Amino acid sequence: MRQLRILARVGMETILGMRKSGWSNWLVIGILAVALTIFGGVLQLTMTLKNVVNAWGSQLEISAYLKDGYDPKAIAREISQLPQVSLVEIVPKDVAWRDMQSSFRVAGVNNPLPNTLHVRLNSMQVVEKTANKLQKIKAVEHVRYPLKVARNINRLRHFLELAGIIVTGALTTATLIVIGNTIHLVIEARQREIEILSLMGVNPWYIKGPLVLQGAAYGLGASLLSLIILFGVNIYADSYVREQLLSFLPLLPNNMEYGLLPTFIILLLLGVAVGAGGSAWTSGRYIKV
Amino acid sequence: MIRLQNVNKDYGGRPALVNTNLNIGLGEFAFLVGPSGAGKSTLMRLLYREEVPSSGKVFIGGVDITRIHARQVPLLRRRLGIVFQDYKLLPRQTVFDNVAYILRALGVDQSSINRRVTSALCVVNLEDKAKAYPDELSGGEQQRVGIARAIVNGPPVLLADEPTGNLDPQTSLEIVQLLERISSRGTTVLISTHDQFIVNSLRRRVISLRNGEIVSDVDSGTYEMEVKVATP
Repeated sequence: MRQLRILARVGMETILGMRKSGWSNWLVIGILAVALTIFGGVLQLTMTLKNVVNAWGSQLEISAYLKDGYDPKAIAREISQLPQVSLVEIVPKDVAWRDMQSSFRVAGVNNPLPNTLHVRLNSMQVVEKTANKLQKIKAVEHVRYPLKVARNINRLRHFLELAGIIVTGALTTATLIVIGNTIHLVIEARQREIEILSLMGVNPWYIKGPLVLQGAAYGLGASLLSLIILFGVNIYADSYVREQLLSFLPLLPNNMEYGLLPTFIILLLLGVAVGAGGSAWTSGRYIKV
Repeated sequence: MIRLQNVNKDYGGRPALVNTNLNIGLGEFAFLVGPSGAGKSTLMRLLYREEVPSSGKVFIGGVDITRIHARQVPLLRRRLGIVFQDYKLLPRQTVFDNVAYILRALGVDQSSINRRVTSALCVVNLEDKAKAYPDELSGGEQQRVGIARAIVNGPPVLLADEPTGNLDPQTSLEIVQLLERISSRGTTVLISTHDQFIVNSLRRRVISLRNGEIVSDVDSGTYEMEVKVATP
């Protein structure tokens, strides 16, 4: 009961502290919301592009041409045992020859085409490695795959991941600095009060707790504001982005867009964690009790 | 209740207290006197662990407070009432709230807070000013709020660092007499001061510091006596 009363008191001190901060609360929340909105937007875009790239990559396939005398079904079974392989499609030489004959006039020639396996993978990152593995199978005469495309897609994926990490790092740092400076100002304004509380024997966490909660409240407010902005932007931008993507990549499935919900959850958690963390760090640094 | 054992304190090689030994018993009332820079405030700060000695031991209630962990300092301070020269009141809180603050921070229930704050305000004769803000009070009244805050948690030791430094002689005397009354209920009271009027008026134990050393310790002393004893 006593602990509950203390917690309630810490909550009340937080509200009183925020009331004392007045309009500067909104300034901080506004700045943080801008940072979080940029972060959320970049996250949304990066993840969507990553989905697009992944889908694009999943359409890449390796064609393995088999030597005569080997059973394509048995080889397909062997290849499908590889963990990175998601699908093996057999194109028997007769079927391939029939298709060719229906497209071109080819007469008086014996079927020169080999049995072919089209191999699809779970991850495009292993295209090269798998192709090399397939090449080593005795029954495989030759493998073919779009090496340059695979490499470029992997490069783009790495770039997007790196860009995401850099943007997250930069905006988290900026947010920490804004929160830290604000809480530092609050501490400066309450220096005398903090000194009195410390001399009266008030627990340090009772003094620092309201400041940490204040930081968390800033983070929460800012992330909610950024969610509203992102949601609004999404309503207007969604159809445009979809149109642009489809004009680029007409063969891609429609549901490439990264869902808003994960972005919202990440923003909320990041906002509160950075708010509370920045405030805790500043309190620890400037309040010596 | 308070014991200093071979305590030395220096600031960057400049001595503030030199080989200080002191014993103050439970319920005792004592003045700590000496000119500015004699080491009075340093000694007081050592007692509430605002400072730690360069060497030696400081005991409060039998506990060596130089060896306690930083986390235990708040617990120590709750067993001490501290009264300051500049009152250190929270300006945006009423008299009642200033006195009640520590109790709320400790999670004391509201009815106990009401009872204990009212009782503390009665002791300092300020029960009718509970709703006033510090800037609506005279200096003497503000100091009495400071004393009420110091005693509201029932500490066995009360430390008053120059409590009359900002007050006129008559008000100073009233404040010290109030502290004497509190001591008579069993609280150990140590007052640091260089106000000879109040020291001479009460004729209680006087501990005299000069250049960081205790130069005299007399049971029913006066400020003049201490100066004479201290001057070769």
